[in-house]
Amino acid sequence: MTTSRGTEEVSGSTIDTSIRFDSVRVERGGVQILNDVTTELHAHRIAVIGANGSGKSTFARMLNGLVTATAGDVRVRGIDPRRRGRDARALIGFIFTNPDAQIVMPTVAEDVAFSLRGKQLAKAEIDRRVEAVLERYGLAELRDRPAHELSGGQKQLLAVCSVLVSEPAILVADEPTTLLDAANTRRVSDLLMGLRQQLIVVTHDLALARRCEVAVLFDNGRIVAQGESAAVIDQYEREFC
Amino acid sequence: MSRMSQLLGMYIPGTSIVHRARAGYKLLALLVLGLAITIPPPSWWLLGSIAIVLVSLYVIAELGLRPLARQLWALKWLILVVLGSQLIFLPWTVAVANSTRMVQLILLAALVTLTTRTADILSTLERALRPFAKIGVDPERVSLVLAMTIRTVPVIAELGEQISDAQRARGGRISIRAFVVPLLVGSIRQADDLADALVARGMDD
Repeated sequence: MTTSRGTEEVSGSTIDTSIRFDSVRVERGGVQILNDVTTELHAHRIAVIGANGSGKSTFARMLNGLVTATAGDVRVRGIDPRRRGRDARALIGFIFTNPDAQIVMPTVAEDVAFSLRGKQLAKAEIDRRVEAVLERYGLAELRDRPAHELSGGQKQLLAVCSVLVSEPAILVADEPTTLLDAANTRRVSDLLMGLRQQLIVVTHDLALARRCEVAVLFDNGRIVAQGESAAVIDQYEREFC
Repeated sequence: MSRMSQLLGMYIPGTSIVHRARAGYKLLALLVLGLAITIPPPSWWLLGSIAIVLVSLYVIAELGLRPLARQLWALKWLILVVLGSQLIFLPWTVAVANSTRMVQLILLAALVTLTTRTADILSTLERALRPFAKIGVDPERVSLVLAMTIRTVPVIAELGEQISDAQRARGGRISIRAFVVPLLVGSIRQADDLADALVARGMDD
């Protein structure tokens, strides 16, 4: 269980669970995307909210080094994603808004297995892990189905399975329910909330955000509020909606 | 299995002897038959024999003749272009024989992909390319590029459908420029997102 001090008890030893941003600035083509972002997050489930273009997705992408800082320092469980990208990506699974953009292989099982490439596992072990994750999230019957034949909800579930099969410690989801209908939004939200992994979810879905312990509110590239999710979301609705 | 998947020659699960045969053997058989089709001068008895073998293999693979017919229909424009251009310069018998050889080759290749999981084809290909690693070929990357090509075709096709639907919904006439520009922009964006996803999934590590 993650504590308020950003540590986690695992088999008697204590590991760092903190996410730290120190005076982080991101500038691209003369446009300031993040401006002096300083924060420290420890909660198990963290929602990142704010208007379009407020810097939420950039913040999320910095966690695994997809975006690097122009200035400032980022640490995820002590790892600097810019210098130790491989370690950061082993630690963090990333779910994108559009599952079509992240499904790499032609069929369901092949795409899940793709995440285990290069992990020096025997084929039998890869098959076992793929089958287990597909079974757990209700996609086992679709294992040989071409990915493009799946519904939007099934594609997003596949994207989640493909990330979870490599057992990351942290899951970052960038608007995972934006393209889904109400039933699939509920399904994917329930799945995310039930995970043992630390979750950072960028979302416009305030119902999903309310289910997180902590919310971070972005506006114009800055964090304008951070704290207990209900209070931050109320502020967002009051001041920005 | 959707029509699109069959047109793309994507794997149709099955338990036939063709399905169960190892991917390496199937690719080798494709190579041998491919050479038998293309190297000897075209003759009607050879083309007829290959056609009988082809139909028999589709039946043995328990695919039936529908996927065969669909693939053939999907090739109609290619056949027209190839046949038409050859008819200008060659006697009709040679033009028809050449086009038939091309179609037979494509249908044979489709039989392999219809009965073999992409992952099995790719791992066979990776093994076959391993000796070339010494001269700088990265077998894993070659197979990944092939897999992504197969995966991306339906995504781009869907994007094309969306653009043409949007054009129709706005009541405009179908314009090539108004179709190609958003298709290119959308495809580049898709490629960008895919690159991010590959990095996020540790491909470059």
